[in-house]
Amino acid sequence: MSGFTSAVLIQTVPVLLAALAAMFTQQARILNVAVEGMMLMAAFVAIAVGQITGSVGVAVLAAVGAGVLMSLLFGIFTLRLNANPLVAGLGINLLAGGVTVFLLERVYENPGGLRPDEFPELWSVSGDWLRAIPFVGPALDGQSVIVLLALALVPLSWLLLYRTPIGYAMRAAGEDEHAARAAGISVGRARMTAVLLSGLLGGLAGAQLSMAALHFFLPDMTSGRGFLGLAAMLFGGATPAGSLGASTLFGVAGAAGDRLQGGAIPNQLVLAVPYIAAILALTAARMGLFRKIRSARRSRTAQEAADGVAV
Amino acid sequence: MTTTPTTSTTGPGLAPKPPGPQGPAGPTESARRIREIWVSVRKPLFSVALTLVLGFGIVLLVSDQPLHAYEQLFVANFSTPANFGNLLMRSAPLLLIALGIVFSFRAGVFNVGGEGQLYVGAVAAAATGLALPGLPGPLLITACVAAGVVAGALLAWIPAILKVTWGVDEVVITLMLNFIAILFTSYLVANPLRDPEAYGATSRMLPEQSWLPAIPGLPTGNIGFVIALLLVPAAWLLLFRTVWGADLRAAGTNLRFAETVGVRGRREIILSMLLSGALAGVAGAVYVLGTGHRFEQNFSPEFGLIALTVALLARLHPVGVLLTSLFYAAMLNGAAYMQIATNVPRSLVSLLTGLLVLLMTVEVRRRRRRGQAKEVSA
Repeated sequence: MSGFTSAVLIQTVPVLLAALAAMFTQQARILNVAVEGMMLMAAFVAIAVGQITGSVGVAVLAAVGAGVLMSLLFGIFTLRLNANPLVAGLGINLLAGGVTVFLLERVYENPGGLRPDEFPELWSVSGDWLRAIPFVGPALDGQSVIVLLALALVPLSWLLLYRTPIGYAMRAAGEDEHAARAAGISVGRARMTAVLLSGLLGGLAGAQLSMAALHFFLPDMTSGRGFLGLAAMLFGGATPAGSLGASTLFGVAGAAGDRLQGGAIPNQLVLAVPYIAAILALTAARMGLFRKIRSARRSRTAQEAADGVAV
Repeated sequence: MTTTPTTSTTGPGLAPKPPGPQGPAGPTESARRIREIWVSVRKPLFSVALTLVLGFGIVLLVSDQPLHAYEQLFVANFSTPANFGNLLMRSAPLLLIALGIVFSFRAGVFNVGGEGQLYVGAVAAAATGLALPGLPGPLLITACVAAGVVAGALLAWIPAILKVTWGVDEVVITLMLNFIAILFTSYLVANPLRDPEAYGATSRMLPEQSWLPAIPGLPTGNIGFVIALLLVPAAWLLLFRTVWGADLRAAGTNLRFAETVGVRGRREIILSMLLSGALAGVAGAVYVLGTGHRFEQNFSPEFGLIALTVALLARLHPVGVLLTSLFYAAMLNGAAYMQIATNVPRSLVSLLTGLLVLLMTVEVRRRRRRGQAKEVSA
């Protein structure tokens, strides 16, 4: 059981970080498909820098820096140069894929990937206090520090988004650009902050992906996890808790898909569940299904209250 | 043989592009037209030029024979009939998908699902070819292409109906459907269609009579490109010279206004997406019948994504799409020659594609900013 839980955790964390990354920009109303490219670049830089310096700290910092740089590029093109965020985001992904493979071929002379002989171990966290946490504790034991950081980032993101001026500015910029501007909020700066935050989180996701267990980089190693994060964010209604719930669900689907390889249920079907779930959730949201349920419940309680008064 | 129709469609294609008022014909009219064409092509041309200059800078850094590398990248495509045939073979899927994307974008639908529609089209064509091995060639080819059309259109119908019924954002839906479609074909090719003797995820070989014939004189090119080429003027006529095309463009420009003046906007949106998916499905069928002769799971180097940029770079104009798809195909194809002849890796092209996509969407809104400044000062 603990084996499966830890497999779920390993599948969940990069997706969760990508979902949080996409969430900040979504709150500022920018559909961020560039998370994939930010992750890929960060995953590559993590291995390349770790190989040169032999230091875990420098490698993680460099990976986060690479993610932020990619997001800065995305931000400059979409916010300053008025490029369409979707097209620019896809461009960022193409660029990240191209640059990493180009460097693999030209600098490392191995288009198949970058596998250092020696690579510093990413810090892992273990201890009795961790194992004492119910249910997920045993699976958390011995996981990388980024895993714990990712879980801690869920409440932190909530605080940032709903309890700080900058989070307020981001949400205002997403809610109504003109009203926000009239209220004295710098919409451009709020959006740029959201984009840079997404780069930071995307960078962490990339570092976790290449450094945590594998210690190597492969071309296109993100293989759609950035988009999976986007789907999780949308399925979770662009909130931190929703993103956590959705990425966990997707992590379960991913881990189950790996286990089911060659089983009775085709694993491709299980792996498609996240995307189908995102489509259904978006459609249900637009249909006003949630609102209908809520208003039905409200009218029922109102009815009951009225009955109560009558009695 | 193939260059003649190219030039003949370019002439009438580009000229009447701005459908403007019926001004007096004459030298001023043609001068105005030339000016308008220049205005619409200068930005794409500039971004292409800038990308190529930046790319040349990279080549200068990594190679001691930069000119030779660029010559291989572009000129080598035309050096032998085999290379030229490969160029046409590569541009056929780009051209077909991009033509479809033109219709959906013109109707105001941001269809990012080209890749998924391509995959289901390809797998449907392959499955049809494998299921009906007894049919004679022309009939079998027609059946396979029809299957591709239906599969692509069906996949594109989902986001269209969700958009017009509940206003669900088509960008996310088409994006997600790409992954679902590719997982679905991965299932099919791993199970019912699998070739047990082949290594990797490929279907069994299609019967030989279903293979698309080669273009005479170009053994590596097949008539798939000719089909795509014939669809260019057809798309132009449909879009700019029929009532339906006008309605479609009206729906894309301003849906509420179009519906007020009697355009059935929702219907146009669904039809444009069906057409868009159908063309991507044809692209998949053409690839399977003409190039792969079987369905391979990773056959597409992201044709769908590149076709999107092909359509956008062409400013959503069918004739422009022909030129930009040939340009992209030349880069994709030339990359291999460049890698063989020089020490510049072929992934330079993916890098350049990313750069070009970023650069071509840049919009310097100087006029608008001035307007805003005026607002503020007033």
